[in-house]
Amino acid sequence: MIVETKVFTCIQCGKCTGSCPESGKTPFNIRMLMRKRQFQTKIEEGLPWYCSSCGACTIRCPRDVKPSEVIIEIRSSLVENGEIPLALQKALENTFVQKNPWGRARTKRGDWSGKLANTVPHVRETQSKRLLFTCCIQAYDPRCMVIPVNVAHILMKCGVEFGILGEEEACCGNEIRRIGEMGLFEELEEENKTTFKEYGVQEIIALSPHCMNVLKKEYGDMGIKISHYTEILAPLMRDGALSMGGAFNKKVIYHDPCFLGKQNGIFDEPRDILSAIQGIELMEFSRSRENSLCCEGGGGRMFFEVETAYQRNAVVRAQEAFDKGAQVIATSCPFCLMTLEEQAVERGIMVKDISEILMEVVEQ
Amino acid sequence: MSYGLVIGEVRKNIFEERNIDAIGLVHLLQKESVLLIPNGHYEIQEGIINLLITVDVEETQFLNPLAMVHVLEKMITAHGKPDMIVFTHSSSGIELASYAAGYFDFPLITDVSGYDTEKKIFYKSYYSDKIFGQFYVTQDETPIITVRSGSFREHVQAKGFSPAHETIDGIPAITNRTFMEYVEEEKGDVDITKAEFLLSIGRGVGNKDEIQHYEELASLLKATLSASRPVIDKQWLPKARQVGTSGKTVKPKVYLAMGISGAFQHIAGMKDADCIIAVNKDPEAPIFQYAHYGIIGDMHKVRDKLKDILKT
Amino acid sequence: MNILVFTKRVPATQEEELRITSEGKRVDLSKIPFKVNDWDNYSVEEAVRIIEKSGGAVTAVSIGDTESDEVLRRAIAMGAKDGFLLERGEILHDPSTRATLMYNFIKKENIPFDAIFTGVQSEDDQFAATGGILAAKLRLPFVSMVIGIDAVEKDHMVVRRELEGGLQERITVTLPCVISIQTGINEPRYVSIMGVRKASKVERKVFNAAQYEENVSSKIEVIQWVYPQKKAGATLLPADIEMACKELLGILKEKGVY
Repeated sequence: MIVETKVFTCIQCGKCTGSCPESGKTPFNIRMLMRKRQFQTKIEEGLPWYCSSCGACTIRCPRDVKPSEVIIEIRSSLVENGEIPLALQKALENTFVQKNPWGRARTKRGDWSGKLANTVPHVRETQSKRLLFTCCIQAYDPRCMVIPVNVAHILMKCGVEFGILGEEEACCGNEIRRIGEMGLFEELEEENKTTFKEYGVQEIIALSPHCMNVLKKEYGDMGIKISHYTEILAPLMRDGALSMGGAFNKKVIYHDPCFLGKQNGIFDEPRDILSAIQGIELMEFSRSRENSLCCEGGGGRMFFEVETAYQRNAVVRAQEAFDKGAQVIATSCPFCLMTLEEQAVERGIMVKDISEILMEVVEQ
Repeated sequence: MSYGLVIGEVRKNIFEERNIDAIGLVHLLQKESVLLIPNGHYEIQEGIINLLITVDVEETQFLNPLAMVHVLEKMITAHGKPDMIVFTHSSSGIELASYAAGYFDFPLITDVSGYDTEKKIFYKSYYSDKIFGQFYVTQDETPIITVRSGSFREHVQAKGFSPAHETIDGIPAITNRTFMEYVEEEKGDVDITKAEFLLSIGRGVGNKDEIQHYEELASLLKATLSASRPVIDKQWLPKARQVGTSGKTVKPKVYLAMGISGAFQHIAGMKDADCIIAVNKDPEAPIFQYAHYGIIGDMHKVRDKLKDILKT
Repeated sequence: MNILVFTKRVPATQEEELRITSEGKRVDLSKIPFKVNDWDNYSVEEAVRIIEKSGGAVTAVSIGDTESDEVLRRAIAMGAKDGFLLERGEILHDPSTRATLMYNFIKKENIPFDAIFTGVQSEDDQFAATGGILAAKLRLPFVSMVIGIDAVEKDHMVVRRELEGGLQERITVTLPCVISIQTGINEPRYVSIMGVRKASKVERKVFNAAQYEENVSSKIEVIQWVYPQKKAGATLLPADIEMACKELLGILKEKGVY
C-alpha cells in the first residue's frame, strides 16, 4: 500500500509532539523529525525506533502531514540498509521463515484450539465462512493464549459459527509495516489475501486490534467484513444471547488500546460489555478514549528495548489505576495486556482482557 | 593385518579423554587396536592398545590435515589398509577425518554415536538429535568414522599387556598451511568453571533485552550466569560465559538451564553437573533426558515467578 | 579476490516434532518451513565483507532443488555478484557425493576462485565434512572451524580456528584454499525482502547437476530413520508455575547453593 505523506505542508505547530507518548521523557521529538525530513538533515541513529505507532500525531495534525507514516518511511530506508536494531532484525527474520515474529513453529499456530472441548473447524468447513483471526502472540504465548480460547468458547456458546485457519494463518503484518519492512509486509498481505480468497472468507473477527487495523484499512478492499471481537460480543450481550451466571465484583478501570480506540473509533463496545456485567464498578483513566495513553507496545516496541531508561507509560497507567483504587485494569488488546501487566501486578492490580472477565461470569 | 586405526586427539601435550570412545569402537569391532600419536609425552591408559605408533612429527604438524594424509599413506604402506579409521568428533578430528576421506576417497560417517555389530549399521544423528539415521557403508573400502564423545567407552576392555611400539617417520614439512600460535580467549570477568551454581540461558531467551532480567535473577539466587552457544554467537553475553564443547566444560553442584534445548555440544559441556534442572517450553527438548528435574514452561514466566517469590 | 561460497537451503526444524514415515524410509518435511543454513549465512557475510574491503567478487553456489534459488538470491542481496544452482531434485546424503559434484562442477566449468568458503556444517545432517572432502579432492590447503579471519593478502590468509574450551589456534594458509566458517565469526547483515526481490534481477544460472555426476556414487546409505532412544528423563516439577518454582527453590536449598 502506498501512503502519501506531506512533510512539506508541516507548519511545525507542535501538536504532534504535544500528543506523542514518547515526547519529553525520551529523545524522540516528532515535530523535530518532520523538520529534519523537510531539510533532509541526518537523523540520529536509534531515534526513529522510539515511535510506538499510536497514531496520535497523525490524528491531531492540522495539515495532513501524517507524521506516523513519515516515521515508517524513515524506517523503511533504514531497513533497506540493514540499519535496524538486532532484536528487530531477528523478529523480521523469524516472521519471514515462520510467519510470526517470535519464530515459533508455524505448524503449531493452531494448537491453541486443542484446549477447547469442542473442535474448532477450519473456516473452509463453515457455512458462514466467518474467520477468527488469531494473531501471532495469542497463538503462541501462554499468557495471551487464553484470549482466543475464551473468545472461541463464548462464540460457540452464543451459537456464532466460525472457523480458523490454523497454520495457514500468517502474521497480519501490522507491526511489520510499522517497522518499515515493506517487502515482507507485502508478502504477508498477499499470502493472507490469497488464503482468504481460496476459502471464500466472508467475514473476519480479529482478536487483536492490531490485526483488525491492518486487515480493515491496509489490505485494500477485500469485500470482507472485518471486526474486533468486542464489536461482535457487545450486540450479542445486548440481545441476551449470552447468559450470565455470576458477578464480577471489582472496580475495573478500562484502558483503550490505541489501535482499537483512537485509530478505529471503537470505544463503546468494550465499555458496553463491561457495563453489562453484574458487579463491575467501571472506572475511567483521566486520559481515556481518544486521549488514551499509549502502552508503548506497538511500532515494533514489543520486540526490542530502546536504549534510554525512562518512566514507561505502563508505570504511569498502573500508578493511576492504583491511585484511583482500581482492582483490575481491563483491556482488549494483547500488547496492552502484556505491557501493563508487570507494572500493575507490582501494585497489586490485575490486568485482564475483556474475554477473561467474561469467562468468569458467563454461565458454564 | 586386520586392525582398527585410531588417530589420537592430542592438544598441548594432553591426550584427550574422549579418545577412549574412538578406542572403544575398535574394541567393539573386536579388531586389533592401533593408536597413532605424534612426538611428545602423553598419558595413555595402560593395556587398551595393541600397537602404539609414534609419528616423528611435532604435535601441531600431526594435527595438520595436509600432513595427516601422508601419515596415513605411510601407515597403509607399512600395515595395509585398516578395517576402519577412527577419529574423535572434535574440532581437529572432523577436520582431519574429512580431509582424509576426500584424499583417499574413503567412505565417511561423522558424529557416530552407536554401532550395530550384527547389521554393521552406524547410528548418526540428524536434525540436532531429533532423528537418527542408520547408515550402512555400501562401498567395500576402509570407512573413516568420527565418534561422539561418551559413545563407545563402555566397550573398552583392558588387555592386560603393554602395547608394542613402532614409529613412522619421513613426513614432509607442510608449507601451505602452517600453525602460528595458540590464542587464549580474552579472560572475562568470571570463570564459570569455578562456580558452584550456574544459571544458564539458551536460545529461548529470545532477545538481548531479556538478559538483564536473568542477570537480576542470577544475582537474587547468588548464581553465576552462563549461556549456550546461540546466546554467545549473538554476542549477548561474553564468550567467557559459554558452556559447551566450544566453550567451557563445567561441573557445578547445580546447573539450572533455562530455554536450552540440549544440543549435544552443550550437553557435553555440563552433563557431569551434580544436579541439572531444566526449564523449557518444549516437552520433547533433549535436555530433559539429561536433567534430574524439569519444568515444562515458559522460561520468562518461571524467571518472573522466581523473582517474585525471592523478592518477598 | 574471487571467493566461491557454498550455501544450502535447509528445513527449520528447531521446534518441530519430526515424523518418520514410509516405514522408516522418509522424514516428513512437507510442512516444515525452509531457511538458509545458519553457517552459510555467516559464510556469505564473511566473504562479502572481505571483498567489500579489498575488492573482488563473491559467487554463491547451491546444490538443491529449484527452491534453493531462495538462498542464492539472499546471497546476492547480501553482496554476492552471482549465483549458480546445481539443480537436483533428490537430496544427496553422502557428503562425499556432494563434494565430488562440487569438484566436477568447478573443474568442468573452470570456475575461477582464490578461496572457497563453506559452512562448518549444515543444520539438517550436521556431517561437517563437505568442505574438507572438497579441499582434499582439489588438493588444496584446508582450514575448518574458522572463527576469525585476521588478514587477507594476495597469496595467503591468516585465520583463527576454534578449538575446544575457548582455545583458538592461528593458522596461515596459502591461496587458493578451502575454509569452513564457524557461526559467530561475524554478525550477518539484515536482508530485506525488497533486497531479495532486487536480487532476483541478477541472473542465477541453473545447471543440471546430473551433468557433473559421472563418478558420483554414494559410499554410505541410510537404511532407516529412527527416533532417539528415550532415557529415563527428568523428574517433572508441578505444572503450576508457582508450585514448581517453590519446589525448585527447595531443591536449591537442599543442594546447599541457595
